[in-house]
Order: sequence, then C-alpha cells, then structure tokens
Amino acid sequence: MNSTALKWFGRSWMLLVYAFLFLPIFTLVAYSFNDSQLVTVWSHASLRWYKALMHDRDLIAAVMLSLKIAFLSALVSVFFGLFSAFALHRYRRFTGRGLLSSLASTPLVMPDVIVGLSLLLMLVSVQQALGYPERGLFTILLGHALLGTAYATVVVRSRLTEMDSKLEEAAMDLGCRPWQVFTLVTLPLLMPALLSAFLLTFTLSFDDVVLSSFLSGPGYSTMPMVIFSRARLGLNPSINALATVTIVVVSVVVFASTLYSLRQARQRKRDMALAQRE
Amino acid sequence: MENASKSPLANEPLLRIEGVSKIYDGHIKAVDQVTLNVASGEIFALLGGSGCGKSTLLRMLAGFETPSQGRIYLGGTDITELPAYQRPINMMFQSYALFPHLSVSDNIAFGLRRDGMAKEAIAERVEAMLKLVQLSQYAKRKPHQLSGGQQQRVALARSIAKQPKLLLLDEPLGALDKKLRVSTQIELVNIIEEVGVTCVLVTHDQEEAMTMATRMAVMSAGSFLQVGSPKAIYQQPNSRQVADFIGSVNIFDGPVKENHTNYVLVQCADALLRVPHSQPCQDGMGVGVAIRPEKMALSRKKPSAKVNHVAGVVVEMAYFGAHTSYHVKLASGKVLQVQVQSHADEDNADLCWGDQVYASWADNAMVLLTQ
Ligand SMILES: Nc1ncnc2c1ncn2[C@@H]1O[C@H](COP(=O)(O)OP(=O)(O)OP(=O)(O)O)[C@@H](O)[C@H]1O
Ligand SMILES: [Mg+2]
Repeated sequence: MNSTALKWFGRSWMLLVYAFLFLPIFTLVAYSFNDSQLVTVWSHASLRWYKALMHDRDLIAAVMLSLKIAFLSALVSVFFGLFSAFALHRYRRFTGRGLLSSLASTPLVMPDVIVGLSLLLMLVSVQQALGYPERGLFTILLGHALLGTAYATVVVRSRLTEMDSKLEEAAMDLGCRPWQVFTLVTLPLLMPALLSAFLLTFTLSFDDVVLSSFLSGPGYSTMPMVIFSRARLGLNPSINALATVTIVVVSVVVFASTLYSLRQARQRKRDMALAQRE
Repeated sequence: MENASKSPLANEPLLRIEGVSKIYDGHIKAVDQVTLNVASGEIFALLGGSGCGKSTLLRMLAGFETPSQGRIYLGGTDITELPAYQRPINMMFQSYALFPHLSVSDNIAFGLRRDGMAKEAIAERVEAMLKLVQLSQYAKRKPHQLSGGQQQRVALARSIAKQPKLLLLDEPLGALDKKLRVSTQIELVNIIEEVGVTCVLVTHDQEEAMTMATRMAVMSAGSFLQVGSPKAIYQQPNSRQVADFIGSVNIFDGPVKENHTNYVLVQCADALLRVPHSQPCQDGMGVGVAIRPEKMALSRKKPSAKVNHVAGVVVEMAYFGAHTSYHVKLASGKVLQVQVQSHADEDNADLCWGDQVYASWADNAMVLLTQ
C-alpha cells in the first residue's frame, strides 16, 4: 500500500469513527425538530415537541428531581470525599486505614446493580425495624452520595499526592496550627480538584438509572428513569427535545470551562516567560 | 575567609544541640549523636554529600521531625518537643515553597498575620521586607510571575519577616544557575548580616559554605567529621574524607618511617616526606599526607633538599588566566594536580606536555592525616 492510499484509508477510518460517535446525536437533535408523531418519519420542521415538553408536568418534575439529587449528592460526595482523601493522604498509620482505603474504592469496581440491590436490602430491613426511611428522594440521594464519595475521594487524593508537601510545612513553620494549615493552604490549593470532583459526581448522579431504580419509591422518578420507562412504551419525540436541551446545556458548560482553563494556562505561560526575561 | 574572626564568643550559645539522633524505621540512622553549639550572630553551614543527614538535622531544628534521642535548646530553653508553629525559628525551603495562590506581599505577610499583628504594622513590615530584598515593584505579583532569583528573594523575605531567633536555610541557592548563585551568595550574606539573624544553612556545595559561613561542620553518614571555621577546615583537615571533600587535594600514602618530637618521616612510593607534626605516631603506621594543588611549585631543576619533592612528567595542562593547572604523572603512576599562579617565576613559563618536572612545596603545606 502506498502512502497516499494509507493516508486516505486513515482519513476514512477517522470519519467512520466520528460518524459512529456523532451521527446518533445529530439524528436525535434533528428529529427533535420533526413535526411527525413517529420518531422515524420526517414530515417537516417545527417546535411542536418543545412545546409539548414545556407542558409535560411529569417530565419537568423528573428533571427537577434529578437536578436536586445531583446537586445535593455532589455536595455530600465532595464533602466526604475531601475528608476521606485527606485522612488517607495525611495519616499514614491509623487503625482501619486499610479498611477505609478499600471501602472508599469498592463502589468504583462493584457493579451498580450489586450496589443498588444491597443498598435496597439494607434499607428495607432498616425501614422494617425503625419505620424509616421511606424510599424516595433521601434513599436515592444516599445511593448517589455513596458512589460519588468514592469518585470524589479518588480525584481529591490524586491532587493531594501531586501537591508539594513543603507548602504545608511552610505554613506550619510560619505559625499555622494544623487546622489553619488546612483552611489557609490545603483547601485553597484543592479548590480546582474539588470543583472537578463536584462536576464529575454531579453528572454521575444525573445520568444514573440503575441505583435510582432500586432506591426510589412511588412518586420519585428521576429524569433517566422517566426516559427509560417511556422508551419502553414506544419513543416519544418530546424525549428528543429534552435530550437536545440537555446536550446544549452540557456543551455550553464544557465549552466554557475548557475555554476558561485554556486561557488560564496560556496566561500562566505568558507570565512565566515574561518573568524569566526580566 | 576573614569571616572567621567575626564569630562572637557568647557565654550561652543561642542554639545548643545535645547528642541528637534520628532513626527512621528502627534502623536507618539519618542523624547520629550530633552535638553542636551555635552562637548568636553566626552563619553556620552544614556541609556534606547527598544523604548524609543535613536536611534531617535541619528539619529537627524546625520542628518537622522529632529527635529519636537527644535534646535541642534555643536560648537556654528546651524546644525538643515544641511544635513547629510555636518555635521562634523560620525556614527558607530549598524549592522556596511559596504559596502559589497568594501574591508576593501576602506570602510575606502570611506569618505576621498568624501572630495577630495589627494591620498597619503588618503593611509596614511587608514594605520594609520588600525593600530589603529589592522587590517593592513586584508586591502584587503571584509567585509564578517571578523569575527564579526573585522567588528566592521572596522566600528569604518571608522567612525573616517574623524576625526569628534562628533562620534555617535548606540549600538556599540550590535552584539557581551557577552564575546567579555566586552573586546571590554575597547578597544573601549581606541581607542576613543587615538583619542580624543567626543562621544554620545546609549545602552540598563546599564553595558556597566557605563563602557564606562563619563556621561550618562537615557531615558524613549522620555525624560530624569536623567542625570549625572554613579556613581551619581547609588548611587543617582532620581526616582524609574532609580533605577530599573540601577543595581539591593531593594525598600521598605511606608508612611512618621515623617518628620525631615535632616531625615524622613518611616513606611514600614517590618520595620521602618530612612532615611537621606534634601528635605522637607509631613507626610503621599507615598515614596520608595532604597537600593542596596551589601550595605546590613546579620547576625543571631538581630541588636541593633531600625531602619534600617528587619528579614526574606533565601530562595535562590548562590555562585559566590567573593560574595554570597541571597534571603531573609520577613514577608510581599517581597523577598530581598542581596549580601555578600565572605571574610566578619564569622558570616554568614554557612548561609543556611531556616535560620532565619537579614538584616541591614548603614544610607547612603538608597536613598529616592519621584517619
Ligand atoms: N522520612 C524518612 N524515612 C526514612 N528514611 C529517611 C527519611 N528521610 C530521610 N531518610 C534517610 O535519611 C538519610 C538522610 O537524609 P537527608 O534527607 O537528611 O539527607 P541530606 O543530607 O539532606 O541529602 P541531600 O543532600 O540529598 O538532600 C538518607 O539516607 C535518607 O534516605
Ligand atoms: Mg536535603
């Protein structure tokens, strides 16, 4: 095979991969503007399904519930992730360190179905014994926070590992008590990691369907659960509209954050070059 | 070198280290039975190769490590168990450890704020510090917006802002390039002397220790080999290891042939050496005789004396402007390093590769090494 043929082969292969990745999304977006009731037949462009979406109380309630759970579980996950990562990083020897370390990472490798099932069994027996908790928002939140804490721990811990431990020593040397070292130096330096842990756990919770299905009760359906159950009854084009809205929101957020960090990196590079020249 | 005369003779030393050891993991002796006094106003250097325990000793002074044995006193009070944040000691870190999220002036103010100083007083002190290290116009910058040399000065300003009783410097110039390092050494000493703070500094660069310190300790494997002024250690090394570590040196080995009250005769492979020495030695004992390259002279003519010269062939020479460095190969195969001042007598002006020469030296150029 000569080099031009190879080049063309490479290009078409790349095109194929991109098509495979993005064609379904484009189709979905396109059909969300389709007037037809049938998902597979194009009639003409309209915003009919967006209007339908706005009046779909169930779906909107599901979205709100999902956002609420995602936000709260991300907060809880980052909070506990921060402290478990800090404990694992800082204290090299304490009773139960090995246990905490493996417990913190178990949910990462355990299939969601197993985690969901075991949580459900536990919650059912607790409820039988104490009459609490009723399955609903709280129990879903519990499951998501459990999973999220594991992820947040990993993210924060890796940042702690690459952080210069001399900075904490310098703070102590300059008169910081241990808790001041944490609040004045460690925490500000961990901010970017906490933010990315938050975004990660937020999305994890937002698109989870397995854990939610196990842990939710009547009247508490998250957005992915509603989409999933409707898809089984036959696709409804207003789901396409919802998906399109989600895609747009996510793209804007990702694009903005990428742009921001790129500009930060470039500014930093320029500053450093300038400082060296002086 | 005239720094040596400056070291004051106080009664109670500012810093007293008594039999301090640090043992890691039950068997790694990082610091082994170190005892040391540092007087107020001294700049004391800990010099040694990699892994000899310099940083560990310094970290015990700062309070980041607790000694396994021994006590540390500062101004007469026992600080061995005092946590780092309560010690009136500040440290300048090797990689500077400037807080990346704070500006230059906030970095310098960091320690002052922990002391609950008044706002105006802090601002005043920060300004004075910035002026001292000539960084006033960089107050608002973040550390990454500074060059290496500027970062080093911020680190210095931050560590002296609290007016510590003792300043610790861990490889203060280690991250700078060679050229900048030499000019910064003097600048650093000037600032330290202006502030009047007592210093313990760690370095593996012997030139740095010699230029900056009033007194120094040569360390190896966790303990001190020799403690003294740079001049004393250079001119009177007490062991082969110290002589080797400080500057370049030629060492002749051989047994003691004759032992007299104030000199010994040492029979080396290439010559018989007559070494002034007041300490008793035994006949036949193996010793080393150290001679600095710059204390040797080269000549084509055979010196008249019977002892203290060797014959050899020039195998290498390099012209450095102020001096010329020769490598002279002796009959035994040993290669001598000889440094000759450029304005020295004309006899060796045209020495060349392959020339037969004699190297000679004065009696007091030799140091007898019994260990
Ligand atoms: N936390 C630790 N645990 C175990 N061993 C250690 C620890 N810190 C230092 N050591 C060991 O103690 C010895 C002395 O280390 P130290 O850092 O004091 O050396 P150093 O003289 O500062 O060397 P360098 O010039 O390379 O910095 C080394 O052998 C090192 O491996
Ligand atoms: Mg070190």
